Order: sequence, then structure tokens, then C-alpha cells
Amino acid sequence: MRNWLIGLLLVPFVFVLSCDSGNQVRVAVAGPFTGNAAAFGEMIKRGAELKAKEINEAGGIKEFNEAGEVIKGRQLTLIFGDDVGTEKEAKAVATRFATDRRILAVVGHFNSSCSLAGKSIYKENGIVELSPGSTNVDVCQGSDWTFRNLYRDDFQGTFIARYIKNVLTDFETVSVLFDNDDYGRGLKDAFTTEAKKINLNVVSEKAYDRDTTDYTAQLTSINADKPDIIFVSGLYGQAALIVKQARTLGITAQFFGADGIDSPEFITNAGAAANGTYLTTPFTFGAGGEEAAKVAKAFEAEYGVPPDTWAALTYDAMGMIAEAIEKTYNSKATLAENRKAIRDHLAGLDTPEEGYTGITGLTYFDINGDTVNKPAYVKIVKDGEYTTAEKQMLDMGSQN
Amino acid sequence: MDVFLQQLINGLVLGGIYALIAVGYTMVYGIIQLINFAHGEVFMLGAYFAFTLVAFFHLPFWVAVPISMLLCAGFGLLMDLLAYRPIRNAPRLSALITAIGVSIALQNIARIIWGAKPQPFPEKTLPSFLQQVTPLEEPNIYFSFIGINFTEVAIKFPGNVSLAYLDLSIILLAVILMVGLNRIVSLTKIGKAMRACAQNRIAANLMGIKTNQVIAITFAIGSALGAIAGVMVGVREYIEPTMGYYKGVAAFAAAVLGGIGNITGAMVGGLIMGLAEVFGAGYIDPIIEFVAKNIGLGEYYEAGTISNSYGSGYRVAISYIVMIIVILIRPTGLFGKSTGHRA
Repeated sequence: MRNWLIGLLLVPFVFVLSCDSGNQVRVAVAGPFTGNAAAFGEMIKRGAELKAKEINEAGGIKEFNEAGEVIKGRQLTLIFGDDVGTEKEAKAVATRFATDRRILAVVGHFNSSCSLAGKSIYKENGIVELSPGSTNVDVCQGSDWTFRNLYRDDFQGTFIARYIKNVLTDFETVSVLFDNDDYGRGLKDAFTTEAKKINLNVVSEKAYDRDTTDYTAQLTSINADKPDIIFVSGLYGQAALIVKQARTLGITAQFFGADGIDSPEFITNAGAAANGTYLTTPFTFGAGGEEAAKVAKAFEAEYGVPPDTWAALTYDAMGMIAEAIEKTYNSKATLAENRKAIRDHLAGLDTPEEGYTGITGLTYFDINGDTVNKPAYVKIVKDGEYTTAEKQMLDMGSQN
Repeated sequence: MDVFLQQLINGLVLGGIYALIAVGYTMVYGIIQLINFAHGEVFMLGAYFAFTLVAFFHLPFWVAVPISMLLCAGFGLLMDLLAYRPIRNAPRLSALITAIGVSIALQNIARIIWGAKPQPFPEKTLPSFLQQVTPLEEPNIYFSFIGINFTEVAIKFPGNVSLAYLDLSIILLAVILMVGLNRIVSLTKIGKAMRACAQNRIAANLMGIKTNQVIAITFAIGSALGAIAGVMVGVREYIEPTMGYYKGVAAFAAAVLGGIGNITGAMVGGLIMGLAEVFGAGYIDPIIEFVAKNIGLGEYYEAGTISNSYGSGYRVAISYIVMIIVILIRPTGLFGKSTGHRA
């Protein structure tokens, strides 16, 4: 009886193992596919799917023999995990991915707080976490397994402060309205620190909570100081309500946001109130090259909507992981060895020459796994559409 | 002073929203002592029904809203019939757990049907005075009255204090519906039957009142009110499957604060919660600053260890603290009657 039971328990294991030796490699994608950052999640999913589809149509992830000939092409299969944009779910997703013996690497998470929540789990289990969206300063600190292919908030916050000071010279006073989570707080701190250095006048700061939908109280207090610019350090859903409610209250200040509001949903939700909003972003198709335009076309043909920044960054992140697998995968090695080889490969991309060139430009990592070479672009909402702002400030490119 | 007045208006609007939802909780509780957690989801469905009718069936807003109310009333009936009536005489805990189950199920069904993304109510389909987005230019003034300007989308009081027509209609709706409901409960025959059921359901049944029918009607009315609240909130903010959850919990707290089971209590409780939240967010930071400086912590304040910017992020906590204080002083809520058996 007991033997029979043990045998039954082993059946799924045997099944899993037999799947593993097949013609597939599996990469997980973690993001907020539902919840109040779902619009980001949707784009992340599509960006990853498009890259995987292109790789598979080109013969999959290839294995070469010593003479450099293709001896095998493995199909890239994606496994999606919904972290709902919350730490609690992110931990559950991270645990599921890290302990899944078929998954080689993880692209994600998107929200900074989710990447931070998953970090120790990925580190303990030895699996790469490559984020296409988390910008909080601490995300890559203290773990050799966490990477990202976009700038950090200390860079972004500094950039915004300098841009307001140097380019938007008609505006003098700034108020900050920030989401009280890792992303919003970190970005706000970077912004105010730089503002102090360059004598940009920050007249007030107010926090909000992501679960509330009424911001009239904070906006009214802020408007008591009559700031010229209100900088919203948060995500698109709340930012849309904030600009809408501000205009309803008769507040005429200029709005400025960061990459957190870089989603078409910001404009959809805010309607006409979105017009005139400035925002920074790690990438814009308007400044991308020929390759980016080609991908944008393929994306639109596939999904019927143009891709956004996050789709592009995820597309590149998936490309980096696929390249790492292609270069390091050994079907005879154990899972832990294969996962480690991917990490070592990514960690080796530490100079401009070694870096990966994707549609969002060149990506290479510093000692932490941060990307420090990518510039910030400024966009402005005009007539219900994002347009690349006339005045860019690309020259402050380096992080220091 | 201008800031204070504007905050007062902000608080009344938010309170009006809570009150509109709280009435639904309190009516059902008053009669069958069931905390209908699914009421928040009826509220959400009301918004989605109206949204679908307007966006996909291209009905005018004024037609879509009553239809959505009817649909939700029907939905309330169905919910009572399928989920709550079969366990009417089971221990109260079973009904409570069922309500939570219905709530989760409805949230996920809505997510499957309409998707997880928040969606704005199509602005163009709204009657012009309910549109909120004012252009940055000075809006046209229709007429002025003792310094109060009536513009296209909002009333402008002196000192740039503004009240959008949409927000005004939320407050008015809350007041009208509450007065109307109070009338129905105290003056009509069905109201009398409701009160009888609330006092003692078995005795009411023995007196020839069809209690199941009365309960069903209560669900229908509560759900229709939830629907209209959902539409107003959907128009003011946006519509998403979880919108009923956060608002529902706050409204439930408002109902408890006012004394659950009492309609006037729900209204007053809603307003108190709304005002506490807004004034909390607006004034907690100056209070922290004042306290820090006066108890000798000024240097920490200057150094930034104590900050004057985080308090407003805890506005929801502030309103719940107010609720807890009220409940500690009056365990049955402001208007609640202390009857021993309602533990």
C-alpha cells in the first residue's frame, strides 16, 4: 500500500523531469497583470510575448557544436506570474518561480516594491531577476542576482530637478505629491535632495496612499502655497485622478511626472486634464532608432495598439535573457548550474563593449547590476498624445 | 480660511459618497442583522452597468442610470434569493461568510467580464454640467450672485473656493435619498413592515407579514441606491473591479459609526468619516510640525528626522481612528439603540 502511494506521488515528478529534457526552455515573467498597475502589466506581457515569438520563429534558442553549426533549437516558453503590484503577492510569485525546477530566469518585477520583496527569495534560490521597470535606488543593492535595464530614481529625480531649473525657467516654485511606497518616496527624496543643491524652491511635499481615490484634500493644502509646478511622484492611475481633481478644483499649476505615469492609460483616464503634463521616461520611440521603429510596427500589427516604454524595455530584457541562455545553456548541467551561468553571463556585461544592444539602446551593468548609462527623455502630453518634448537634456547622461 | 472652506467642501463630498454606500449596508443590517459585504460589489456593478449601457449600447446617460439601478435592484433580489434566503435560519456566521464569498466571486466575475484595468466613464456621454475637466483658461461664467460665480462645470465662491456640479449633486443626492428613505420607512406600509421585521422577524411573520418579500424589497432598494452611488463615483473617478472593496469598507465603517441599522446614522457616519479623512489629510502635517516644535523636538524637525510630509498619506487611518474613538465612547454608534441581543 505504502509503495503504491509513494509511486503515485512520484508520477508528477517524473512527468516534470521528462518535460525538462524536451525541446523547451522556460523563462518566467512577473508583473502587475491585474490590480491598479494593470496597464503596465499588459504592456510588459506583450513586450515579452513579442520577443519570444520572434525568437521562436527564428528557430528558437539555439545550441551550437564546436564548429559553430546549429545542432538544436529550443522553443522559448514564457510563464507569467501576476504580482498585482503588491509586495505580498510578489513574494508568493517569487517563491513559485524560484522553486519551479523548469524556470531558468525571471524577467520582472515591475513595481520597485515588488522587486524588493522578491529579491531575497531569488537570491536564496539562485535565480536571476531582471527588472524592466523598477527604478528605486535599492533594488539591485545587496543581491548578485538582481539586474535592471533602466536608470535609477536618484538619476531620474536629479534629472527632473535640473530640467525644471534649467529648461522650464518660467517656473519657480515646486510642490511634490508622492505615493507613499518605495518608488514614490525614493524618487521624491532624490528630487528634493537635488533641488536643495541647485536652489530650486520646493514649497511643500505631501504624501498619498495608493488605495485612496480622492486627492482633493492634499491638492487643496498644496495649492495654499500656489506652486508653479506640481511634481507627482507616483503611478499613472493615481496621477490621472490627481490632475483631473486638480483641474476641477481650479488649480492651474503645471504638472510634471516621472516614468510611473508613462502609460497611455494616464491619458485615457485623465482625459483633457492630462494635456500639458511633462514626464520623464527611460525610453521613447520618438528617439529610438530604425530597429525600434521596426519593432513598434510589428507590435502594432500583433496587438492593435502602439507599444509603450515598458513593452520596449521588457522586449530588450527578454532579449538579454534569451541571449544569455543561448550562450550558456548546457543540457547536461543541473538547474542550479544553468541558472548560475546566466547570472555570470549578465554580470559579465559590464563595459560598453560587452553590453547588449537592444531597441532601447545599449545596456550594460555596474557592479550592483544597475544600468547607469541610459539617458532620461522628456515627453509632454499634447492634444491627448505623448510627444517627445522639444527641449531634451541628454547631456547630463552620466549618473555622477 | 479659503483653504479651510475648500477642505470642508472636499470632506462633505467624500462624506456624501460614503453615506450613499453606507445606507445600503445599514438597511439590510437593520432588518436581518446581516453585514452584506457584497454591497460594495453591487455598487461596483452599478457603475459597470451604466458604463456598458453608455459606452456600448450608446444610451443617453439619463436613460442608462435608471436602467442600471433597475438591473442592480434585480441583482440584489437575485443575490438574496440564491445566496442568503437558503441560509436565513442558519447561524449568523454562515450568512456573514456567504456574504464575503459573494463579494469575492462578484469581484472576479467583473474582472473576467470587464478586465482588470481601471476605465474612465466616457466623458463625452455625460450631460455637460457633470463633466469635470475645466480647461486651463478662465471658464465662462453663466451668472453671478453675491460674488458667487456659476461657471460651466463648477460653482466658484469668493477666494477661489470651488464646488463642481458633479460634487454638488453627490451631496444633494445623498441628502435627498436619505430623507426619502426615512419617509418610506416611517410613513408607508412597506416601511412599517420593514420596521416590524427589524424588531422581530418571527413575530412579524405570525402577524401575516410576508417577511421574505419585505427582505427582498429591502435588498432591491439598497442595491438600487448602491448603483446610483457607483455611477456617481465612476463618473468622478474611474471604474474598476475592486472599486467597491475600498469604498465599501469605509462606508461600512461609516454605518457602524452612525449606529448600524439606522438610516440617519449612516448619513451622519458617512459625513463624519469623509470630513475626518479630508481634515486629517489637510491638517495632520501642520499639527505634527506644531507638536514637534513645542515639545522640544524642533531640531529633529529641522533635520528632517520628523517630517511634515508623510502624515497625509495616512488619511484613511485617521478616519478609522475617529471611528474607533466614537465606538469606544458609544459602542452602538451615534444613533444606534442598545438592545442586548445585538451583540
